[in-house]
Amino acid sequence: MSADLGASTDRTAAPGASARAPEPQPGRASVPAPRGSAPTAALAAPAAVAHASDRGARIASVAIALAWHVAIGLPAVLGARAEFAAPAVVLGGWLLVAVAGVVAGVRLLRGAPLPPWPLAGLLLAVDAAVFAAAGERQLFAAANWVWSTLGWFFVLAMWGRRVTGLVALLTTHALIALVAVLGHGHDPADLARYAMYVYGTFSLPVAVFVGSTTIVGLARERAAAAATMHAIAAERDAAEQGLRERRDRLVLVGAAAGRVLGELAAGRADPDDPEVQRRCVLAAARLRRLIAESDDVPDPLLHELRAAADLAERNGLPIDLVTIGDPPPLPVEIRRRLADPLTGILADARGWARLTVVSGPDEVVVSLVTPDREAPEATGPPPGEHDDGPVQHLYERDGDIRWAQTRWRR
Amino acid sequence: MGADPVAEMTGDRPVGVAIVDDHPVVVEGVRAWLATEPRLTVLSTGDDPDAVLRAAPDADVVLLDLRLHGRMVLDKLAELSATGRRVVVYSEHTDPETMLAALDAGAVAFLAKHEGREHCVATVLAAASDRPYVPPALAGAIVGDPRPDRPMLSDKEREALLLWFQSMSKASVARRMRISEHTVKQYVDRARIKYTRAGRPAATKAALLARAIEDGLVRPEEIGIYRSQATHDRPTP
Repeated sequence: MSADLGASTDRTAAPGASARAPEPQPGRASVPAPRGSAPTAALAAPAAVAHASDRGARIASVAIALAWHVAIGLPAVLGARAEFAAPAVVLGGWLLVAVAGVVAGVRLLRGAPLPPWPLAGLLLAVDAAVFAAAGERQLFAAANWVWSTLGWFFVLAMWGRRVTGLVALLTTHALIALVAVLGHGHDPADLARYAMYVYGTFSLPVAVFVGSTTIVGLARERAAAAATMHAIAAERDAAEQGLRERRDRLVLVGAAAGRVLGELAAGRADPDDPEVQRRCVLAAARLRRLIAESDDVPDPLLHELRAAADLAERNGLPIDLVTIGDPPPLPVEIRRRLADPLTGILADARGWARLTVVSGPDEVVVSLVTPDREAPEATGPPPGEHDDGPVQHLYERDGDIRWAQTRWRR
Repeated sequence: MGADPVAEMTGDRPVGVAIVDDHPVVVEGVRAWLATEPRLTVLSTGDDPDAVLRAAPDADVVLLDLRLHGRMVLDKLAELSATGRRVVVYSEHTDPETMLAALDAGAVAFLAKHEGREHCVATVLAAASDRPYVPPALAGAIVGDPRPDRPMLSDKEREALLLWFQSMSKASVARRMRISEHTVKQYVDRARIKYTRAGRPAATKAALLARAIEDGLVRPEEIGIYRSQATHDRPTP
């Protein structure tokens, strides 16, 4: 009878048998992977995409600022150096901003920008000094380089912050310029020119700044959406596979239980026959496991133990596997030390078995209880307690039960 | 404690039990289990808690299937417990969250449907005298309680619960912990009593607690009756 059940079960199980071997199978083992890594991927991918887009915009901004400063600002300053009210101040300011700009650019590209407000303070101080030192004749000339160039350095200083900071700096810049313009008289033509210049200095840096922020934001959103889609798809695949497996098991388990019940109902099986009772116990244990266990939270340790329980069950052993809590992520070595001693004993168990796992963030206790047998201990480990690295092993026989426990504590 | 704690509660009459389950085959099965114990008598059965209790208003213990007609009846459980009905929940839903939620709602005990006759009879008898009984599945749920506001258990209580959950044999737990079976039961029961302080108050919880204090199982200060719960019921690290 037992051979009949075991054999027929095995025949039915044959297609899925390879998936239930105790060794982690690539096919099954890969199931937890997408779900386990999904949250990390969902966070990392958008960040990576956003970082890549942001880096492009940074390079462009640094290049614009330095190229403008050198290619447009420097020739004009040098060409008009004799006509400044204080040439040394204008040239010195140019040099200071050039040095500060290079340092700020390099730091920005390396992802470690200079502190924004001290840098902004330095730029505004140079701004005021150059306006004062340029003199009336050069006020609106290209030689007054702060007009056009400084806005780009403000962009570098304020990178990654809200646009209000940049607008505040540009407004201060405009006010300094206004003081300088009014200081040289109230010519309406100068005021008109001033308005035009202010518009020019505001529009381009603000446009570049806002544009790059928007592009980075959009890229991050799109990447996040894509990552979420991938995670959902992976989760759905895992759930579908889990459902298929459960359905397969239900067919298998239901068939075995149905056979016993059918034979009992037809009077072909005798309820007093110990073998019939054993088949009932086995069928009930299988149904119970089907109801109680799920791979909803795939965990490698539980997965290994389930595989071992499946194998024992297919060999005709009624087994209960009860898990409480979710094990924390454990290195493979720890998992091996927790599971291996028990799966070894399980292979040798007769009668029934109870496998339990109690997990908390800092502790995982796995226990296997089977009836004690008279048989000499050929395969069992030595009784008593011993430590295997961070995992404590315990094995004992008390005449009633054999009790093996492995316990990991953080 | 008298020789027979149940007789002490109900006089000489047997403990009256009401069974609420929507599966007649389960009702009959449980009835057959309880029939093996002369101190128990089934007064009424059915699938509607109100109708069953109208038929047997004097039932000492209600055995309640937690899922009736496809719905979890935790609210009904809380309502019955609040009025002092001793409800033993039995269910095939043995996930720890459900078990702890049933205790919080005021269930005197939680029994997994597969736990069998002995546990069922023992649970009902204990419940009739307002005494705790912790079957192995419930012990597992308590020892693995992850909630930050869970009651504080001592190391021995945790260990006894864990080993009882693993082995389902108090004799084996006693040998392993090198203490008597009686002490094992005390540790397990004390842990259960501490859960009378979790969740909303219920008359049944107060009765369990009062009986535990009367029996000397716990001292009032151990479970924070005279002091704030926050200072006492901190989880074990």
